Amino acid sequence: MIVLKVLGLVFWLLVVPFCMGLLPLPLLERRLRTPGVALIAGYILMFTLFELVGIPVVLYALYNGFTTLIKIFTPIVLLCALAGIFVTWKSIKGGKAYDFSLLSGFRESSWEEKLVMGLFFLLVGFQLYMAFTKASFDGDDAYYGAQALIAQQLDTLYRVNPYTGRSSPLDVRHALALFPIWEAYIGSMCGVHATIICHSVVSLVLIPLTYVLYGQLGKALLGKRKDLLPMFLFLIALWQVFGNISIYTTETFFLTRTWQGKSFAGNFVIPAVIWIFLCLGKEGTEERKGLWLLLTCLNFAGGASSSLAILLSCLMTAGYGVLFAFRQRKPQVLVKAGLSCVPGGIYVLLYIFLTHGWLVP
Amino acid sequence: MFGIFMESLVIFKLYTGLKLLLLLSLLAWGYLLVKERDKRIRLLLVYAPLFVILLFLFPVSRKVFVGAGLDGETYYRILWTVPMGLIFVYGACRLFAEHKRIGIGICGLLIVLCGNYVYKSQYISKAENLYHIPDTVIRICHRIAPENSDTHVSAVMPTELIHFVRQYDAGIHMPYGREMIVNQWSYYNAVYEAMEKPEVVEVDALLKAVREDYCQYIVMAKDRATDVDPLDRGLVLLDEIDGYYIYEDPVTAKVVEQWQEYYEDEE
Repeated sequence: MIVLKVLGLVFWLLVVPFCMGLLPLPLLERRLRTPGVALIAGYILMFTLFELVGIPVVLYALYNGFTTLIKIFTPIVLLCALAGIFVTWKSIKGGKAYDFSLLSGFRESSWEEKLVMGLFFLLVGFQLYMAFTKASFDGDDAYYGAQALIAQQLDTLYRVNPYTGRSSPLDVRHALALFPIWEAYIGSMCGVHATIICHSVVSLVLIPLTYVLYGQLGKALLGKRKDLLPMFLFLIALWQVFGNISIYTTETFFLTRTWQGKSFAGNFVIPAVIWIFLCLGKEGTEERKGLWLLLTCLNFAGGASSSLAILLSCLMTAGYGVLFAFRQRKPQVLVKAGLSCVPGGIYVLLYIFLTHGWLVP
Repeated sequence: MFGIFMESLVIFKLYTGLKLLLLLSLLAWGYLLVKERDKRIRLLLVYAPLFVILLFLFPVSRKVFVGAGLDGETYYRILWTVPMGLIFVYGACRLFAEHKRIGIGICGLLIVLCGNYVYKSQYISKAENLYHIPDTVIRICHRIAPENSDTHVSAVMPTELIHFVRQYDAGIHMPYGREMIVNQWSYYNAVYEAMEKPEVVEVDALLKAVREDYCQYIVMAKDRATDVDPLDRGLVLLDEIDGYYIYEDPVTAKVVEQWQEYYEDEE
């Protein structure tokens, strides 16, 4: 039974997002057609779909909202994963090159780089061990953790006061941020209690996922100096462990509140915007469509983690768009940046309407 | 406006803790300002962070933030868009590109010395189970959980347990939860007033409040002082688990049972 649950978790947390992430790879340039980018893209697409399906369900399904969400989201996400496999197969047949050799770069590196990379993996392993074996108390869990469990056990979404259990009007302030509901979803698909998913499982995926993203950031920043990547990753991992200079930093959230949407916002959504702009700004980049598509999705998917995340990612997109447009004398960048904020903008408008009492069902 | 600016400055200080890690980022930022030639990296790691900090301190930004319906308490999260770690680490990689071994040693040591170990916190403890909630809570929940998963029970819990109960079982309701113990939210709850406010719990007052709230169970630490023995007021001691007494109020239990039968008949 436990083996089946573990296999289920691997399927829903790694296989499905990875296969979904294969979908946009043909739209990216060759150097970005890697397993790491596929996983990052997969999570962006998965949260985009989860928000697209989940928001109407939360707003309009008074009863059995969670079951409705499962029934609609599951086939869509599985179809996307299958489509990802199909598209990759077709692309490879059509001559598009992929770089799926995980160890090629590692084999070519010097013993010194291998040693530093080993230290980096040790540090990540230590963080995963601590995430699994240590309980980190946070008062907000009484809200987010309970909200996930309410979805799983009571089949209702944001219409029960998580602190007391009493029925309540739709909690419009949090109702659009579906991260706890996604955790409940993963739990239900694998037969695991939502609180175990939050506190013991998702950290084991989200921490490595963040480092996969930092790996891409490192590659984008260091360019041809690939020999510096192990040093970059090792220092980043060390920074995370010692970045607890206050309770507010992303580093503190990353390792003590990994399962909360706001941590995902600070440690995945925001660095992902920076990574996409680094890739977009790289000279000689031919295929930018895929990156703009990913940015558009990210500017909407961020809403799963928190409503503020969308605002921040859209503001970053707009700000970086202005800077790039001026600096590179390419006004079209500003237009594209603006367009990529449209779904996020609709989300923000919806949030404003709901919190001001309009459109509340 | 100056007041808002000063408040934002205080938030900035609280965020960075004015610790040496901030200085490391600042030094790396200065190095990149002088040395970085790649336009996109200059934009993202040199100019953009500066704009964000200026925007953060600009009083109108905070007004707009709150005006948009966002929680003013989360204003510090704008600073999340300044990637302090990324700026330092990339700056370090650039600076020590030709002396990696020395760079890793010096920068690693600086991070350790200037930073604060994230796991050194009073809020981090050994996990007792996969739920990462105390075993005691799980045992208490098992004792009072409704047999029928379609129904629920209500229990008043001591403040040290209230965060966890509904993370374990959504079928256990509580007359009050975390909202009553967060200092900045000053709510009123009659059960809380009777259970937590007095040094010595007045059992009659507590019973009156829990009955009005249709709460069947009272969980109380063994060393919690009461003016009379709760058993003398008709409560039934169901169990004693890890230093907590679990009382059932038969009067409320009967009322709730009648309701449940009524609703079952209706269905």
